[in-house]
Amino acid sequence: MMIDILITLFAVIFSLVVVFSNRTVVSAFSLLLALLCIGGAYFQLGANFLSAVQVLVNAGAIAILFVFVMMLINLEHPVLNKDKNKFKLILGAFAILVSLGVLAIVINTNLESFSKDFLLDNSMKTLFGKLFEVYYLPFELATMLLLGAIVSVVVLTKQDKEPLE
Amino acid sequence: MLETLIEIIAKIVVILALPLGSLPLIIHVERRGAAFIQKRLGPNRVGPFGLLQPLADVAKFMFKEEVIPSHVKPFFFTAAPVIALTFAILPLACIPVTGPFQFMGREIFPEVFRSEMGIFFAFAASALGSYGILLAGWASNNKYSMLGALRACAQMVSYELSLSTALVAMVFLYGSNDIHQMVTAQSGYWFGFIPKWGFFVQPVAATLFLVGIFAESNRLPFDLAEGESEIVAGYHLEYSSMKFALFFMAEYIHMIGLSALFIILFFGGYSVLPGMDMLVDLIPGSLPIFQLISLVTKVALMIWFFVWVRWTLPRFRYDQLMNLGWQRLLPLGIVNLIVTVLFVYFRN
Repeated sequence: MMIDILITLFAVIFSLVVVFSNRTVVSAFSLLLALLCIGGAYFQLGANFLSAVQVLVNAGAIAILFVFVMMLINLEHPVLNKDKNKFKLILGAFAILVSLGVLAIVINTNLESFSKDFLLDNSMKTLFGKLFEVYYLPFELATMLLLGAIVSVVVLTKQDKEPLE
Repeated sequence: MLETLIEIIAKIVVILALPLGSLPLIIHVERRGAAFIQKRLGPNRVGPFGLLQPLADVAKFMFKEEVIPSHVKPFFFTAAPVIALTFAILPLACIPVTGPFQFMGREIFPEVFRSEMGIFFAFAASALGSYGILLAGWASNNKYSMLGALRACAQMVSYELSLSTALVAMVFLYGSNDIHQMVTAQSGYWFGFIPKWGFFVQPVAATLFLVGIFAESNRLPFDLAEGESEIVAGYHLEYSSMKFALFFMAEYIHMIGLSALFIILFFGGYSVLPGMDMLVDLIPGSLPIFQLISLVTKVALMIWFFVWVRWTLPRFRYDQLMNLGWQRLLPLGIVNLIVTVLFVYFRN
């Protein structure tokens, strides 16, 4: 129980550092630690495979690409695009709506039965059976969410066109 | 309770003592092996056959001045070697050195961290090792270090993919991801004398994996991270004394861990060497000891193979490295994976 609380606490703290730190490399390493904390949380729930994959894929491959790119183009103090426009407002509202929706689902789900049914049986066969049969639609929707995230990142970071000098 | 505690501590001591204790020996073998291959003598003055040379080196590392240059980022600069060494040692926790055995009425699994997903955890931990190198290069605030770190990182991420395809193919083939079951599947003989090792079933995956572990541990022919003729010394350029020694140790322990994984997947892990079965039958209850001897022998041979390759093959050029990883090995790995999956599907 103590470990669960600690892991949650660290995950939240590091996630906040990711968003609010001014130094990009510190942000990236906090992201790594947050991902590791989530891996630890999976492990505490008994989902060994998910935990290993979380560390292997998210922390070992994806976060390292973030760090790699930041170091490659030397993004010590990034120039943030701070002007407000309507598009950002809509996207922000959308993000808040999605988060609230996820929260509502989490509150409405009976987590006890969920963890017993899904997480505690950690054989890969059961896991993928569930993923590709019962939870197929949510799984595909999650990939759509990722696609949306990629598009919004491109839109957010796009610089305004300036005439060549 | 006390017994469990003693068991855990004993396991940790054994798992740490084996690689750390053999480290000076491995470094000695590397230097003498290099000399042997290049028709030199190598270090042979300190002690018999120069065996005390590594101890002299350790003493030197300990008493040298520890320089932290003024242009580095001190926190990350100090953290980097520690991270590198930690993630080199962590995979060893998942590796069993013998099969499960009975000792004083308790069934003992010899790995420190017992999990059915042990092999995935070992890989996950070893994949994080590149953070140490990356951090070292960035914190050194030196363009050569930075280049070395970026090279190492790009190389590790690229070759991890083909490595993973080989791993997944073997998991499908053995029908299990538990290391003990993998080893059991590889015990026994075909025609009475060929051991049922994964290497003979899946030579393609074995080759992919072998190339992958050379790239992962940054050894020649993949040591672009420290290519001394191009970027001085790469990521550990600014490091001195014990901090440098930590990187050095991390490299060798990483080698040991990856070799052990390779042997578990393709050379029968701790299953006894051919011909040792008779000895096991002769002395009752000696199976774990012979299993330990077999595993250590196999890993030692692997380490010698690493040394042998290092002083035989020249370094790749960077574009050759990337072409090999992405255009040859990855497609080969995926095709191999598909063939294996089809084979397993139709066999059942």
